[in-house]
Amino acid sequence: MRNGLVAYGFRNMASRRIRERLAGRLICVAILACAGFVYADDPDNCLMCHQYRGLGRVDRESDEFKLYFVDPEYGHHAKGPHARLACTDCHTASEVSVVPHQPTTPVNCTQTCHLSDPGGLERIFSHESAARSLDDSAHSSKVLNDLNFTGGPLLHDGQSNCLYCHDEPMFRDPIAVIPGMSHVNNRTFDRCDSCHSQTVPIDIRYYVNHIASRLQPARPSLDMAQVCAVCHSDPLINEQHDMSDAVASFVRSFHGKAALLGDNSTADCLSCHVMPGENAHLMLGPENPNSSVNVAHVADSCRSVQCHPGADLQIASTAVHLDIPTAGGSAEFLLAAFFIIATLLTFGPAALLVLLDLVQIIIGRGHHDADEEKALARRVLATPEGRRRLTRFTVKQRIEHWLLAISFTLLVLTGFPMKFADRDWASALINMFGGLSLARHIHHWSGVVLIVGFAQHVVVVLLDFWRKWRTPRADGTRPGAWQTWNDMPMWITVEDAKKTLHLLLYLLFLKKDRPTFGRFSPTEKFEYLGVFWGTVLLGITGILLWGMQLSSQFFSGRALNLATIAHTYEAFLAVIHVGILHIYNVVFAPKVFPLSRATLSGETPVDKLAEEHSELVDEVASELGITKAAT
Amino acid sequence: MTKSKFSIHSLVDLVWRGLRGTARMIRVAIPRLYGLALLLFICWLTFLSIRYLVRSLLVPTQTPEQIVGIPRRMEPELLATERADWKAITAAETPRVPPAHYHRVDSWIEPDRFNDCSRSGCHGPLPHSKNKAVRAFLNMHATSIHCGVCHMATDDHPLKMTWYDLDTGAAQAPPAILRLCQRLTEINREDTEASALKEQHRELVALIQRTSKDLPNASALEQLVEHFEAVRPGSKAYQRLLDETQTIIPRYFRGEYGAKLALKAEDGVPILAHPDTSDDVAKFLAQGDDLAPEQRDQLLEKIHPLRRDSAYRCTECHSADASLVPLSQLGYPTARIDALSDPIVFEMIENIDAGRPFEMPQFITPKSDN
Repeated sequence: MRNGLVAYGFRNMASRRIRERLAGRLICVAILACAGFVYADDPDNCLMCHQYRGLGRVDRESDEFKLYFVDPEYGHHAKGPHARLACTDCHTASEVSVVPHQPTTPVNCTQTCHLSDPGGLERIFSHESAARSLDDSAHSSKVLNDLNFTGGPLLHDGQSNCLYCHDEPMFRDPIAVIPGMSHVNNRTFDRCDSCHSQTVPIDIRYYVNHIASRLQPARPSLDMAQVCAVCHSDPLINEQHDMSDAVASFVRSFHGKAALLGDNSTADCLSCHVMPGENAHLMLGPENPNSSVNVAHVADSCRSVQCHPGADLQIASTAVHLDIPTAGGSAEFLLAAFFIIATLLTFGPAALLVLLDLVQIIIGRGHHDADEEKALARRVLATPEGRRRLTRFTVKQRIEHWLLAISFTLLVLTGFPMKFADRDWASALINMFGGLSLARHIHHWSGVVLIVGFAQHVVVVLLDFWRKWRTPRADGTRPGAWQTWNDMPMWITVEDAKKTLHLLLYLLFLKKDRPTFGRFSPTEKFEYLGVFWGTVLLGITGILLWGMQLSSQFFSGRALNLATIAHTYEAFLAVIHVGILHIYNVVFAPKVFPLSRATLSGETPVDKLAEEHSELVDEVASELGITKAAT
Repeated sequence: MTKSKFSIHSLVDLVWRGLRGTARMIRVAIPRLYGLALLLFICWLTFLSIRYLVRSLLVPTQTPEQIVGIPRRMEPELLATERADWKAITAAETPRVPPAHYHRVDSWIEPDRFNDCSRSGCHGPLPHSKNKAVRAFLNMHATSIHCGVCHMATDDHPLKMTWYDLDTGAAQAPPAILRLCQRLTEINREDTEASALKEQHRELVALIQRTSKDLPNASALEQLVEHFEAVRPGSKAYQRLLDETQTIIPRYFRGEYGAKLALKAEDGVPILAHPDTSDDVAKFLAQGDDLAPEQRDQLLEKIHPLRRDSAYRCTECHSADASLVPLSQLGYPTARIDALSDPIVFEMIENIDAGRPFEMPQFITPKSDN
């Protein structure tokens, strides 16, 4: 019989009520005789029926779906701490030993059980202490009993309040903390069983799973948010307790977004709302001086070893539950509003020019000098010197552009999922990068590449400016600093502004002639300066957020909130500008489709040269002695 | 003659000009259509961007579906819903069920797309609700037996039945788990011939793989396949794995095989619906509540031309002798047939059927005496 017990994994009777212990063992013996029906993890043989997923019915009176299925895998594979319990350890035996079952008394989660420890000693076990902690917390029995949920009660009469937060507990896959555990399986335990099944009878598999699972929080961060959302995202409960939707605002924070993207190392609700080392059930309101989120302690919660060790106390003023729409009038709200207006004022006109340009294509409106300009451009390009002079981008500039393009793309691909963490594509994208942790590294180091490249470019521009400023003109005089700066090729001048207005009027059919531009059009200059502004802002705020612990030594948490808002809205502006307008200009515009060669060879298509850069063509043609008349 | 020549030339010229005109029109139209498509696309992207910005400032954040999209109550509608629809469940590492339920449900009863009784919207996937004593037991069969097996009239004894594939609705061979179980009983452990062992190994791996695909949440079987692939046929480790498999596989007889049993027509096709009733079904669903009782009954009669007056009794199938269901022909292994027609099961069913409460210890004791 002993061998039979071992074969069925029944080496160590874990949980039995003492008053039924003898009877339970006798039943087990009988059960084992019925091989094929009864498993060791189901001594009462309840799974004979309850293992069928279809065992259920729809109650016509209450319009409720009653499902009596119990997943046998839970017991067979010891998937959780309750796997060692018999059904009658929780359900009243006299009620369920009759088929059809009598009306059952709701399970009392705090009833006392007798567990056997590995040495075979019986120990009394109960969840009573958790219930006591809960009663001392903000979630006391009174509070939980008085909950009014949208759509009616969630629990049946007499059911334990524990069910609001707890379902059948599962051992978490410890792969996150012990990667090697993914290769551990039943056969691995065979070695252990050579001693532990006989000499020192311990169910090794169960204990390894139990302990390994507990090396991490009992639930992943997202699952934890789901637990809290049962009540804290219920509009009726929030109204009843005068609360905002704390889970919704948590999801807008870095922590919540990371949780949505599958990062289980990020802070969940318990990380902040339970004092370190305290019972998780003892959650207190912020007004309670013993609460982990009381103003006296909240900084310590942030600065715990697992979270932001070494951060300054100021980190506590970083908003974990910031919801901009409900924070009207705050600095955060105003900054967001500023960025939105700035986006509309910068992206809006640029988008309008593109759309009006497309209208010209749709109606077939042409540039009346276009053919003449094209012919001239072709003649200029036919000469080696002309071709060289009309190459608008040098090799170095093209390399810089592609470095910028690659780092920008990586930044968008790894950063935007954080912004839109609740979208399906966000998780898919992050998984493509191998998870959030790796995606973050890529984001940070792409940012570094962008900043270094940008700094190098700034140095080159400043040196160019210096050289031009120090070089005397033909008449021997030296240009003024402002004049020199104004003559820099990418600087937007008053003349550019006038030409842009002219272009707008032309596109609106208020002028007949399309304006002509030199080497760079105002649109290109605007995009170029946008990169200057964007890189500086995104770089500074990005570094502040990356080094949050260090930043908190110098700035308050509010500054980090503002940095987050500035970073996210500026990034959005950059993405829509580049993603919609720039990509149109260099990829989809009919003049350059399928891709502007300027990005590869530096050469500009004749159509584009003739239409947008005819001043440059004229200038080069004039210097080479090629006249329009000759064409 | 001249006139005819002139006509052909003008016709060719006309066609040629027509073609050139069309080509010119296409050349002109394509860029314009392209421009129009781009314009609309950019307008749409711009609208989405601005709408997002405005909403981010003015509309309070809602908790996303990945967090709140869990069914909160056990409502009948859950049965008609694919589990994948609950974003919160798919997002979670350990999916929750409605709070009042407590026990985990890794997957719900997936609607049978080929069972016309429930697919039509007339009956639920767990349709029995009248007889309190047995309704849940009857529904328990919904995952493995088509309604027609018990409720469609036939004079056959035993019934002419077939398995049908839940993905295609087509007749199929017995499910892999049944074949696997039978194959395991046929294995000769004394056989040491290398090619036979190799063939046996290949066959077992294929059957376990297929079984793990057919059954929901059978990850243990996937692990078993990995182990089989890692051992040498005939080795001690292989023998141990065979023992393990023989222990594990019977645990998966839970009425979910990736296939269901249905009555079989003369041509071997499973009977999954009452023939030629779709119009009447639609009429009943649209007007059923407004009809007079007699009209309603008449329509119901038309909808169910194959209906039996009364369903079979449980013991007509769960019987060691003369079972209505030809279990052996349908591929059930001997051990499973014994289990389904076990006198204890029979006794329990008889008791419940007769309205007598059945004490569980009575169930256990006689077996130990056997």
